[in-house]
Amino acid sequence: MIKFEQVSKVYPGGFQALKNVSFHIEPGEMAFLTGHSGAGKSTVLKLISMMERPTAGRVMINGHDLKRIERKQIAYARRDIGMIFQDHRLLMDRTVFDNVALPLMIEGYSLAEARKRVQAALEKVGLGDKVRHYPQMLSGGEQQRVGIARAVVNKPPLLLADEPTGNLDPKLSGEIIKLFEDFNRVGVSVLIATHDLGLIARLRYRTLNLKEGRMINDGLTEEAL
Amino acid sequence: MSVLFRSRQQGAQQVKISGMRRFLMFWVHHIQQCIGSLGELARYPFASLMTMAVLGLSLTLPATLYVIVKNTDDVGANWQQASEITLFLRQQLTQQEVQTFSKRTELAEEVEAVRLIDKEQGLAEFRQRSGFGEALDTLSSNPLPNVLIVIPREGFRTPAAAEALVRKFSEQREVEQARLDLGWLQRFQAIVNLVRDGFLALALLLCVAVILIVGNTIRLNISSKRDEIMVMKLVGATDAYIQRPFLYTGVWYGLVGGIITWLATGALLWWLSGAVRDIADLYDSEFRLTGLNLTEMAVVWGIAIGLGLVGSYIAVRKHVSAIEPR
Repeated sequence: MIKFEQVSKVYPGGFQALKNVSFHIEPGEMAFLTGHSGAGKSTVLKLISMMERPTAGRVMINGHDLKRIERKQIAYARRDIGMIFQDHRLLMDRTVFDNVALPLMIEGYSLAEARKRVQAALEKVGLGDKVRHYPQMLSGGEQQRVGIARAVVNKPPLLLADEPTGNLDPKLSGEIIKLFEDFNRVGVSVLIATHDLGLIARLRYRTLNLKEGRMINDGLTEEAL
Repeated sequence: MSVLFRSRQQGAQQVKISGMRRFLMFWVHHIQQCIGSLGELARYPFASLMTMAVLGLSLTLPATLYVIVKNTDDVGANWQQASEITLFLRQQLTQQEVQTFSKRTELAEEVEAVRLIDKEQGLAEFRQRSGFGEALDTLSSNPLPNVLIVIPREGFRTPAAAEALVRKFSEQREVEQARLDLGWLQRFQAIVNLVRDGFLALALLLCVAVILIVGNTIRLNISSKRDEIMVMKLVGATDAYIQRPFLYTGVWYGLVGGIITWLATGALLWWLSGAVRDIADLYDSEFRLTGLNLTEMAVVWGIAIGLGLVGSYIAVRKHVSAIEPR
C-alpha cells in the first residue's frame, strides 16, 4: 500500500529529515510510526500526502509513483487519503456538519447524500448528536473525533494520523485507537505517527521506529520472533 | 476519478448518480458557492460596501464624462447642420446687381437657399433691436451693406466643405466679405475632442485602479482565510474549487458597484442639469442633458462586473496556488 524506496529528504536550508528510508506497509495493515520529535515522523506523513516531495528515492502508494503525479492531480489523489492531525485542523467558524461534510462537498455530493454520510460518520465516532455544534463547544477529545469523522467520511482506503492522541489522556487515547482498529477491520490501511510509547506497548501492531531520520526498526524483524 | 486507486469508485459515481444529476449538482454547487460568497460579504457589510463604493464611484467619473461628451456631440451635430454663410456685398452695387447676384447664387449647385437682407431692411432691423435708433437718425447715409445669407445644400454643410464654399464666394466680384462662423464651432469641437480624449484616458486609468483595488481586497480576503484554504487543500479541494467563492466575491463587488455607478451618475447629472438648463436658456436653446440610456447602463454594469471579476481573478491566480498545506 505504502512503499518507501531509499527515500531521503533535505529541507531547504540543509536540514536532512530523512536518510535512505525504506519500508513497505501492506494493504489492510495497521502500523505505528514512532521516534522522538524531529526523528522524521511528520516528514514521512508529508511525503505520503504529497505536502512535500522526496529529495531522493521513491514513494509509492498502491503501486503509483507519487513523483509521477502532477501538481493538478494532487488534489484528487488526496481524496484517497484520510488525514488526521494532532491539532485536528477544524474550521472553527463552521458547524461540525460543515466540517465533516467538507470533503463530500468538494467531491460534488448532493446535500441529501452528504447529510446521510456525515450522520453515519459522526455516529461512528460517537458524536451523532453534535451535528449542529461548533467545534469550540466540544472537548479536545470530541474535536479530535470530529477530525476523524472528516477523514473517513468519504471512505478512503488509506488513513494517516499524525499524533492523533497527542493532547488526550490515556483513556481518551484508547478510545481513539479503538476507532482506528474498527476502520482497519473493514480493510482500511492505517498509519499512525506517535511518540506515545505506552499506547503502542499495550497493542500488538507493527511499529516502525525512526531515529534522526533513519529507520532503525521497520517492525518486521520483531514480528518474526 | 480516483488517481491512486483505480478500482475505487469515488464520490458521486459511487452513489450511482446519473450524469444529468451530476451536471445539475455542478451548477447547484456553483450557485451555493455564489450565494455563500454573498453571505461572506454580508458578514462584513461595512468593509464590503466600502470596496463596492470605491468601485462604483471610480466608474462614476468616466460615466459622467461619457454622458457629457455624448450630449455635446449631439449639440455639435445640430449646430453643424444649421451652418449658414453670410455674404457682405459691396456698397457700390446697384439694386439691380444685387438682385442678379442673389439669383445667380441661388442657382449654384452647392446652394440650398438664399435670403437677401437689403440695407434698408437691415437698418430697420438694427434700429428695432439695438436701441440705437436715435443715434442712427444722425447718420446721413445708411452704413450697412446688403447681406446675402446662403444656406448650403446637404452635402456642403461639413466644416471643410462649407469653408471651401466661403473661399469660392469671397472671390466673387460683388462680395466684400464672406463669413462662415466656423471658428467658434471648431474651437468647440476641439474642446469636445479634448474632453473625449481625457475621458478615455481617465476611464482607462480608473479601470486599472479598480482592478488593483479589487485585486488587493481579494488578496486580503485570501490571506485571512489561509488556514481554511490549507484545510480544504488537505481534504482534496482543487485550486478551482477554492478560487470560485473569491471570483464570485469579485462579481458581487462589480454587481453592486455598477448599481452605485448608476445612482451616482444619475445624482451628478441631476446636480448639473440646473446649471445646464440655465446655460441653454441663455442661448435660447431647448437643450437638456440626457442621462445614460438602458443599453449604456447595461454596458456600465457589464464593465463593473468585468472589472470585479478580472481583479479577483488576478489575485486568485497568484495567491490561492501559493498557499500550500504544511
